[in-house]
Amino acid sequence: MSNHSYWGVEFFSFFKIFFHQMFLLLTGKASLGSLTSDEIQILMLAMLGISCAIVGSFLILKRMAMVANSLSHTVLVGIVVALVVMRALLGDSYSAFHVDMKVLFIASLLSSLLTAYLTDFLYRVLRLQKDASTGLVFTTLFAVGIILVTLFTKNAHIGAEVIMGNIDMLHSDDLKMGFYLLVMNLSLLLLFFKEYLITSFDPQFGKLSRFSNRFFTYLLLFQTSATVIGAFRAVGVVLVLALLVLPVLTARLLTHRLYKMIILASAVSLLSALVGVALARHILSVYNIALSTGGVVVMTQFGFWGIALIFSPSKGALTRLLTRRRLKAKLATC
Amino acid sequence: MEDEITVRSLTVNYDKKPVLWDINLDIPRGSLVGIIGPNGAGKSTLMKAMIGLLPPLSGEVRFFGKSFASHRKEIAYIAQKNAIDWDFPITVFEVILMGAYGRLGLCKRAGKKEKEEALQVLEKIGMRELADRQISSLSGGQQQRLFVGRALLQDADVFFLDEPFVGIDMATEKFLIEMFKELTRKGKTIFVVHHDLNTVEAYFDWVILLNMRLVSSGPTANVFHGVNLMHAYGQKGQILEEALEMTRMKREGALHDV
Amino acid sequence: MMSDIIPFSEFFTNPIFSIATIACMLMCFASSLIGVITFVSRRSLIGETLAHATYPGVALALTIGGLFAKNFEAVFPLAILVGAFVGGFIGLKAMLYLEEKLSINSDTALCFVLSVSLGLGVLLASRLQFSNPVWYQKLQMLLYGQAATMLFYHVILYAVLSLLVVFAIVFLFPGMKISYFDPDFASRMGVSQKWIGYTTKILFVLAVVIGLRSTGVVLLSGMLIAPAVAARQFSKTLKEMFVWSAIFGTVSGFLGNYLSVQAGVLLRESYPSLKAGLPTGPLILIVAAFIAFISLLLSRERGFIPRLYRIYKFQRKCLLENILKELYKKEGSLSLKKVRKLYHLSRLKAYLLVWMLERQGIWQKKGRSLELTEKGYKKAERVVRLHRLWEVYLFDYLGIDAANVHQSAEEMEHILTPELEKELTRLLRNPKRDPHNQIIPGEGVTV
Repeated sequence: MSNHSYWGVEFFSFFKIFFHQMFLLLTGKASLGSLTSDEIQILMLAMLGISCAIVGSFLILKRMAMVANSLSHTVLVGIVVALVVMRALLGDSYSAFHVDMKVLFIASLLSSLLTAYLTDFLYRVLRLQKDASTGLVFTTLFAVGIILVTLFTKNAHIGAEVIMGNIDMLHSDDLKMGFYLLVMNLSLLLLFFKEYLITSFDPQFGKLSRFSNRFFTYLLLFQTSATVIGAFRAVGVVLVLALLVLPVLTARLLTHRLYKMIILASAVSLLSALVGVALARHILSVYNIALSTGGVVVMTQFGFWGIALIFSPSKGALTRLLTRRRLKAKLATC
Repeated sequence: MEDEITVRSLTVNYDKKPVLWDINLDIPRGSLVGIIGPNGAGKSTLMKAMIGLLPPLSGEVRFFGKSFASHRKEIAYIAQKNAIDWDFPITVFEVILMGAYGRLGLCKRAGKKEKEEALQVLEKIGMRELADRQISSLSGGQQQRLFVGRALLQDADVFFLDEPFVGIDMATEKFLIEMFKELTRKGKTIFVVHHDLNTVEAYFDWVILLNMRLVSSGPTANVFHGVNLMHAYGQKGQILEEALEMTRMKREGALHDV
Repeated sequence: MMSDIIPFSEFFTNPIFSIATIACMLMCFASSLIGVITFVSRRSLIGETLAHATYPGVALALTIGGLFAKNFEAVFPLAILVGAFVGGFIGLKAMLYLEEKLSINSDTALCFVLSVSLGLGVLLASRLQFSNPVWYQKLQMLLYGQAATMLFYHVILYAVLSLLVVFAIVFLFPGMKISYFDPDFASRMGVSQKWIGYTTKILFVLAVVIGLRSTGVVLLSGMLIAPAVAARQFSKTLKEMFVWSAIFGTVSGFLGNYLSVQAGVLLRESYPSLKAGLPTGPLILIVAAFIAFISLLLSRERGFIPRLYRIYKFQRKCLLENILKELYKKEGSLSLKKVRKLYHLSRLKAYLLVWMLERQGIWQKKGRSLELTEKGYKKAERVVRLHRLWEVYLFDYLGIDAANVHQSAEEMEHILTPELEKELTRLLRNPKRDPHNQIIPGEGVTV
């Protein structure tokens, strides 16, 4: 099996082998098809990580993180409808789990529009408070999605797969999708950085400066859906939330400049992916315990957040400790 | 009138309560206007409705003959401070720079020219050394100066400020009022929601007295006197309030509990 | 095929169905009660996070239990319960820590705890998957609920827990009523905010734990929200909200099971894998959401459609009263054609109007024109009176520009109640003339 190169190696040798392989890839000496599943995982997580860092930063700043959670649930409905449509158009041979670009696009468009529209409808027309509107919409759509999945795929237990994804089933084709997502998110970031900044920081001012808050919110929602769906193959729909939120929070502890925050979040994501996959592989091959790679990566991100919490220049425990010591010293000399 | 800001029959409900009713105003260009009235009189609402941040139930606002949307120049609005997330990862300089965004339009990035101007504004408001600080580290007075600075960069010709002197030091207040006077000398029109009756005559050349309805609007000397103040601060509008509340309920089809 | 449908009573008598049904109803009962609290405190999404927080708790409990093996099977459900409770509780504590000590806003804190819990849960579950695949399956059931395989002791267990919830709420109720609507007042009254908060926290977690089995982790938050949303539409007080919510929740619990089984029966042929029916959890939620949606649309007081209707009725009233005024001013009669023209009415509408008013005895036909009856005359007089009184109020009392008073009076004449009229008459000292010097008709109150 192609995992030979990583099997049973020492933990840190993992990185040596990985970077060597990446070098070969970049200089054209190795092809995409020759990548091992571990390498594909890392690359996929890396690309997703950057996409999520970009999208997640603004979601958190706009206090829309739970909306992302909402979307990650309603995405299920979107995918099912898209699959049904594709199947109707292309016949029964269309495999239930092949999520390609067209499906991705339709599904993300559908889910984000539907979620946003229904939540808005409940809030504005039916006058239901915002938190209840969000909650009601996504749980109901999710329930509908499960029923639809049950009916159309004739298998009531598909659910778990969708929720957790199967990172070990990634294919080099998925890398392409991750790449396109990355390109999309990066371009939108570069194009609309100041628009996103202004509509997140001070929407009233944004309105006065004649930027449409609505447009940019919907755009962000679309980006989130697309990224969520793109990630579903790698880590499952629900773990994307961690990718969106944890690295950004970690970065926030370390800097107060927005663009630095996005870059740092990407870096943390990359690092977590590398360390996480390596760790999972190490534990499997050396201790013979099979753990979910997605789970390990998330916990690695959590670990980095914890570290950042201690060393954070603003909120860190270390800083507070040092400050307290300094203060004590000052008082002592009075 | 090309040289006036006019408001006609402006009526606003805010969050289910009738707040502003049938306001009519004609403000000459270059005035420093104080908006005065008791709590809940609709002063903030008036400003927000004038610049389209709150949808009016009826009425119309014109800036020198044009609607807000077709008014080419910028309009600055400085809200009450609580609306901002002070933990946002943004520096003083970046906030000031935002003032140029409206001018730049979609997709264009702020270039050297805008950054230079931003630095100049920082200089003017005396916060040059604070340029790279994150905004939560600012004092009350500095926060106010920050947003005024942003408005300055907008190069607006109309300014709206909601209670700008609350919670700031005397020095900043003096600084700000001097700056406002200088701006009006240059032809800018400035609206200020003000709470301190003692300083009205010193600060403003035009006064709007408000208590859900317009009590009076005109040059300070004409308007700011005992009778009008009694009208504004007295309790007379209670039936009006009740009646307007009923109107709102009827309009929204709410069930009236007898 | 229709005869295959299982009769209603069987859901309560036949243990194959009754256990799941009754257990579900109990669980929905408990979560819908707690849901009122989360709804009122605007924390509807907390259920979502706490539900996910239980996942690693249970996974850990099972993993630890696995190390002791042997008789673990016996305390299985208890282990799940304890694990879920601990997980949920820690999740809640973590959230509050993030919000209070690290000043992270609640939306982000919710997401943070949710994703970390899930990550941890998935990690532990994957371990379980290989060490104890059977238990892993049971853990996965938590995600969607597995109502159908519940046993009798589940019913007892959840009945007891539900009772606990009810007692806690009844006990806390007075404090809660004050606390949620006016936290300042509560602390002044010496009601222990902290203590209420503490118990409420436990209730939250308890509800989540209870609801897990029926709807599963993912859909639980829906069950905390939907019944409360529906209840809000029919309640004027907190107490009423609890009652309605419990009713809606329990009914959803029943119908979810009912439909799930019947669907299985009806779809058996085309979907052989569904012989156990459609998944219950989602169905319960869909029923609850449907009820919520209908309530939002139709409830008498706050529903969307009744509101539209009332608006329409009011507009019609205004139109009628305007016509009456016209008749009054023209001293009696007006041709039908003119009425139509003045108010841009279609033929049909005009006829309907005339017919309606004739029935009410407001006016009568005299040849081609309409004439006010005495009743009609009195009514018209009142409208005119209100109009002119209002003008006096605005102009003389409030000092408002004469140009604007007429417009306002046009609106107010349809709105002023008899009480307001009395107040105005008294306040203005029974005026006899309006600002345009027209007579104000009708009798005033003697001053």
